[in-house]
This record gives sequence, structure tokens and C-alpha cells, in this order.
Amino acid sequence: MNTLLNKVEPGEHLVPTHCCYCGMQCAMYLRVQNDSGKVVGVEPRYDFPVNKGKLCPKGVTAYQTIHHPDRLTTPLIRRNGKLEPASWDEALDLVAGKIIEIQKRHGKDAFAVFGGVSMTNEKCYLAGKFARVALGTANIDYNGRFCMSAAAAGANKAFGIDRGLFNPWSDILLADAILISGSNTSECHPTAIQYFWQARDRGAKLIVIDPRETPIARVADVHLALRPGTDSALLNGILHVIIADGYTDEEFIATRTNGYEQLKATVAAYTPERVAEITGVPAGKIIRAARLFGQAATGMAFYARGIEQHSKGVENVLQHLNLLLLTGKIGKPGCGGGTLTGQGNGQGGREHGQKADQLPGYRSILDPAARAHVAKVWGILEPELPGKGLSAYELLAAVERGEVKGMYVVCSNPAVSAPNSNLVNRGLENLDFLVVADFFLSETAELADVVLPTTVWAEDEGTTTNAEGRVIKINKAAEPPPGVMTDWQLFREIAKRLGRGQYFRYEKPAEIFEELRRASQGGIADYYGISYERVEREHGVFWPCPTPDHPGVPRMFEERFGHPDGKAQLHAVEFRPAGETPDAEFPLILTTGRVVFHYLSGNQTRRVGFLMEQCPEPYLEIHPQTAAKHCILDQTPVRVITRRGAMVLKARVVQTIRPDTLFIPYHWGKALAANQLTNPELDPVCRMPEFKACAVRIEPA
Amino acid sequence: MLTLPKVLFIDFERCIGCRSCQAACIECGGHESTYRNYVIPVAPGLSTQTVPMTCFHCKDPACVRVCPAGAIEITPEGTVLSAAKEKCMGCRNCTLACPFGIPKFDFEKKIMYKCDLCYDRTKDGLPPMCASVCPSEALQWIEQDEAMEKKRRRKVTQILGGAPSETGVHTITGWLNSVAGR
Repeated sequence: MNTLLNKVEPGEHLVPTHCCYCGMQCAMYLRVQNDSGKVVGVEPRYDFPVNKGKLCPKGVTAYQTIHHPDRLTTPLIRRNGKLEPASWDEALDLVAGKIIEIQKRHGKDAFAVFGGVSMTNEKCYLAGKFARVALGTANIDYNGRFCMSAAAAGANKAFGIDRGLFNPWSDILLADAILISGSNTSECHPTAIQYFWQARDRGAKLIVIDPRETPIARVADVHLALRPGTDSALLNGILHVIIADGYTDEEFIATRTNGYEQLKATVAAYTPERVAEITGVPAGKIIRAARLFGQAATGMAFYARGIEQHSKGVENVLQHLNLLLLTGKIGKPGCGGGTLTGQGNGQGGREHGQKADQLPGYRSILDPAARAHVAKVWGILEPELPGKGLSAYELLAAVERGEVKGMYVVCSNPAVSAPNSNLVNRGLENLDFLVVADFFLSETAELADVVLPTTVWAEDEGTTTNAEGRVIKINKAAEPPPGVMTDWQLFREIAKRLGRGQYFRYEKPAEIFEELRRASQGGIADYYGISYERVEREHGVFWPCPTPDHPGVPRMFEERFGHPDGKAQLHAVEFRPAGETPDAEFPLILTTGRVVFHYLSGNQTRRVGFLMEQCPEPYLEIHPQTAAKHCILDQTPVRVITRRGAMVLKARVVQTIRPDTLFIPYHWGKALAANQLTNPELDPVCRMPEFKACAVRIEPA
Repeated sequence: MLTLPKVLFIDFERCIGCRSCQAACIECGGHESTYRNYVIPVAPGLSTQTVPMTCFHCKDPACVRVCPAGAIEITPEGTVLSAAKEKCMGCRNCTLACPFGIPKFDFEKKIMYKCDLCYDRTKDGLPPMCASVCPSEALQWIEQDEAMEKKRRRKVTQILGGAPSETGVHTITGWLNSVAGR
């Protein structure tokens, strides 16, 4: 371990914490001035085992949002069409009054909560409890539905347990072959790259599946640049070769899996030649990729939104799990992988009851035993617990249809991040009452009737769970602006005004965590054995951790899977096309994604000078052949049109994308929002919208 | 002359273009909110390959040789510092002489500034900010022996490997490596 000391400037002290952005949750120190209490900079935290001091440009500049001039410091109430400053009592009374009024007139479920997972476990947990206990509404869902729901559903189906990564990052250094699928890892999880590069140093083979030559695809041994929306077919091709060439681990399949015969029969029809037709990837490359993975003694498969944000996201995930199971590459050192979580607390935030169908501890809201347990912890009667609510996009669509009348948005910016944003924005505008809690005036907050200012991550403490399933601790480095409350305090104050204050008597996050531990006890994501002290002492604790003396589980599935018989389930997947495929009118495919300089809807990173200098606006990546065909030059404006919307962007003519594919980063709102174009076709299982493939037409603008 | 116990080793091909080194350079206390290292796209539009460009702290630096005022100090550890404020006369000779374009000129303050390897960190044994944060380890702060070993290994790879990538995109990092590996 690195024992470097840190530099402490005179008159300052360092507060150990973690970054507020992606699922890496990189450790960092914040530099705090002793006399003013202001956070003035960042210092690497060399001793934390995940990132060892390394940070991406978002992480380095994260502290700049803390004392940012754009911070909201007083509640805002819409009067005569304009948001105007108001007192806390006035704003909170109005919120509570409107909730009561709407629920009385239209029923409990007419008021919804829309959450997010860029906040601590304590807050995510409380969002679920707030909706069910304070409001009594079934309708709570969150932005993770657009992020990791497909990976979660896939892992649950195959393994019976969903933990983002099945292994600690350090296992990558033991892998001889690594498959990275639908992940622009170097831009979206930059500090993970050190592990992949070190694996390459020791000779690991790298296979990358991506329609673009991303910085990680550039160094791949095989880069399979597939047509967007054909992932499940490509994987069937790889599975076909794995079986045909005898790279399967028959003993592992026999003892630890079910469903092999059906899978074998299905993939038999997917010869490399047929798959080449569907995916646009040469058959030779498919065979080479399968052999590289099959021949390796150890191997890992990683995937992200590129395969998950599809109307068949769950099937795509299952295909990657099929690959790991067929080759016996899971539950051993250097074997496994999983999903690269995009949001900071994407893992913890989906475990503790912020999902329309779930209760804390990753319990189903339809399971009578789970309901009884959670109702007991919450001190309510089981029948008082609402049932399953609407998923995120369905909730927003219900808002547009006028079925949901009021909404409380916390830690999310659906006006930018939801697909088909024209429809979503129309709905948000038409709501009878919209409350947004945020620390900056986001595009969603601009539409609100009441905006409640809240704290940034460095102004509160609590835990998050990183992509590995490691529970870590965020520490408080600064005081919030005068009067500004953090999200759990807002929930408490509103609950009080709704006459439900007795269920929200918290004075500090540690009390919420205590309750969360108990609520999760015996569940899949069992946090019962985790404490703030252990997290600090052990550099994080991996769940499940059922007792205080349990070491936690860094590597999952070493002995058994989560299904009752302890075996994993193989799933035969027939390829089906994306919800929208190119035709004469819309002949190209649009895919969206991130850039390294911005995070999610950009509400934070678009306010940081250094990041905006690097990437001030979205652009259209287009191949030179396609650009020439449409008379488009580099850096000239292009109109991009789909069945749902149109927008104008500058072209970036690059050879690193397929000629039939266009790419737009999605971090901007309004006229610059890529999600005006995207297709809200949903996955039938997990309700993930299809951000990653839709039919599109372009013309010079 | 004393030698540094550790050196800044640059592994160009590891660069992922995130510019974290630049963001972190700004954060170094002595850098007055300017960055002094650069990230260069090798073949824009053709490849996503980028390379970090920082001062190499040459043994016989062109910037020092051409400075008529003797304003650019070399520390006992071999670090080539920014021009001393009281000596720099703003002639910009150094910005023209450096083959790598490292010294920059601040037209408001009329003074040259450049990478000083975060001297207030490195003199105390801490890595410079750029190498501390570089997520892909394109910039590494390592022992000289380890750096020499990596350099040898890189030469071998260049001789044995060097085939174009799957997509047929050639990069010029091989050339850059040979320049930097002087």
C-alpha cells in the first residue's frame, strides 16, 4: 500500500471523502480553509485501494460546485409565472398543502416522487420511505431506471442476485482475456482504465464491442464495431463459436447452471456468417473474439449502457452472463465482471427502496414477508404500505396524460435525461404541482412550482455503494449556505407538515443508516453488519454483510448463485431488432452517450469552467463517407431529425464511427438535448428506454 | 549535480485524452490557476489517440540557454523552473526556442510560465499533480531504474510489434516515444 503523506497548505486541513460523480466513487481529500470553512481545492488520496489517488477531470474539479455562484440558497415559489424567492415556512407549507389537496381530490397515487441515485444510501432509502409512509403513494421511481435497470434485471434472472460488479476491481489484474461491451470506459469510468492497462501490460487480450473506436477500442486486440442494436445477435455468434470449438467448461455447466440444452439449440442457428449479416461485423472477427476469450484461462466481461439502454437490454445482459457461465469464468480470481455503474450511488440507490417495485434490502414490494419486515421496521401496519408503482418513463408518460397531478423531484433532472424529452417536458409543464429539490436551477427546476434548495455532496455525510458493491463513506467538508437543508431534512420537514413526522425523527445521517441496516437485514443486499466505523477502518465493506463480524463479499458466486437451488440460469436469447430500424425515410442509426468532461444531465458539470472550456456544446459524430454523401463538412451545422424531434448541431467528421451510425453526447438541455430525438421504446422486463438506437435522417442546416 | 530520486515517465499510448492532468495542474498551489501541460490529439478525426505533453526537464534546456536574463533556474534536483519574476524581461525567446512548446507567455503579467514539476510537492517527495491523478497512468512518477526498465521494454515492443491496429489506423506515437525517450 502507498504510504505517501499529503501536502497540507498552511491554514488548511484535509477532509477525506469520495467524488460525487460516477460509480467509481474515487477517494479524494477536499482542502478546507480553517478560518473560513471554505473548500478551496482537492488533494489526491493515495492510500485508497480503488483509485490510488487518481481522478478524472470531473473529479479534480468537483469541489468547484460547492461554493458556486449559481447555488440556490432560498426556496423559490412560482408567482405570476415567475420563480420568486420565498421563506422556508411559506415554501414547505405550500408543498405540504398541495400534496394534501391533490391526494384528497385525485387519490394518493396522483402525487409521485421521482428520485435519483447521485445521493447517499441514507437519502435514497429515505426517498422510498417518504413516498410510502409520508405520502402513501405507490408512484416512486428514479433515474436509475434509465441507467442500470437492465443490468439489474439480467443479473437477477441469471444469478438471482444483482450486484453491479461481481468482483473487486483488482481482479482485472488476474484476467487473461477481457471483454468490454457497450462501454466507453476511458471516458465514463476513466480511473478504471489503470486496471485494464495493467492487465494489458501482463499480456491480457482485450476484446471491445462498440460501434465507435473509443479510446479503449483503439488498443483492443479485436474491436467488433457492430451496428447499434444488434448486440444480442453478436453474442449469439460468439456463443456459437465457443460451443462449436469446444471452449465450454462442461463441468461448470453441469454442476452450477440450468438451461444449457435450450441455449445450445438456440445459438446453433447463429453461425458467424449469419451473425455477420445482422451485425455488420466480419465473421472472422467474431471467431477471433470468441477464441481469444475461450482459450484464456481466466476472463472477465464488462458491459455498460451501450448494451443496456435498449428495448432488449435485459437480453443483451443475459447474453454476456451466458458467455461467463458457458466458459466457467465466474466466481474465481480473475473471472467475472459485470456492469460498470454510471451513477455515483447507482448500486446502493437501487437497493433500498427507491424503485417502484422494491423495498429496502433489495426486497420485492410484492413479497408478503418482505412487506411485513419493512412495515415493522418503519412502525406501520403492512396494509398501509402501497403496492407496485409506475416505472420512470411510464410515470413521466402518465404525467403527460394527466393521470399523475403532482410530483416531487429529488436529485434528478428528467427534463434532460428522459427519452423523448419533448413529451416529457410537456408533461412536467402541465403538472398541477411540481416540486424540485436541487442545488442548481436545473432544466426540470425551471419548470417547477416550488424549488427547494438543497445541499451538495460535500455538505452532508453518509454512505454510497460503488460499482463493486463496496459501501464507502462520504464525509462533510463544508457547512451548507445559511438555512439550506439537505434532502433528508426536507423529507423530515414535509413529513412533519403531513402529520407523519413521528416516522422521520432523524437528527443525523447515522440514525438513518442504523434504520437502513435493520430494514435491509435478511434481504439480498444485506447491510446489517456494516457500520460507519467499519467502512472508515476497512476502506469500505462489500455487501452482502449480514453480521458485524462478517468480512463482506468482494467476489460473488464463488460457491453458489442466488437462486434457491444455488445454480445459475442460462437463458436462450433469439435476436430481435431494435424498436426502430433504418428505412428509406430515416436511413441512419443514432446512438447517444457521454463525454469525459460531463456527468449525466450536465446540471453540475456545465457550470464548471474547465470542463466547459473542453466541451461547451454537443456535437454530431459522423463518418466522412456519410458526411460527403450529405454534403456536410467538419464543424458545419447539421439538422438531425427523428420521428420525435429535430435539432441542429455541429458536425465532427471522424473515421472512428461506423458509416451507418451517428453519435451525440446527451448532457445538455432544451434545444441542445439529444433526448429530443431518442426513442422511448421500453424493454418489456425492466422498462429501460432505448436511448442507444433509433432511426434518424440528417441534412445540412 | 544531484539527481531526482524519482522521474516523470510518460507512456504516450496509455493516454485517453481526459485532460485530468491539465485540470490537476491548475490545482497545484504554485501554478496561479494556469495549466502548464497539454494534451494533443495525434491525428484528429482519424484516431482517438491523444498524448500528454509536459516539460521534459531537459538536461541542457534550450529555454535556459536562450534566456538573456538568466531568469530560468534549474534546481539541484534538475527541475527547470518558471522564469523568476524579478528577472524575466518578457522577451519570449524561451517560447520560441523550446521544441515542444512548453514555456508559455502571459501577456498580461508579461512573464513566462511553464511546468515546474509541482516543485513544492516533488521537493518533499510527493508526486506532481498530473502524475498523481492521471487515471490511465500515461504519466507516472516512478524510480529512475523502473523508468529505464519500462523504456527498454517499450523499445522491444516497438521492434517486435508495430503492426497497424485492427481498424488500420496508424498512430505516430511510436515516433513521439522515440523523441521523448532521448
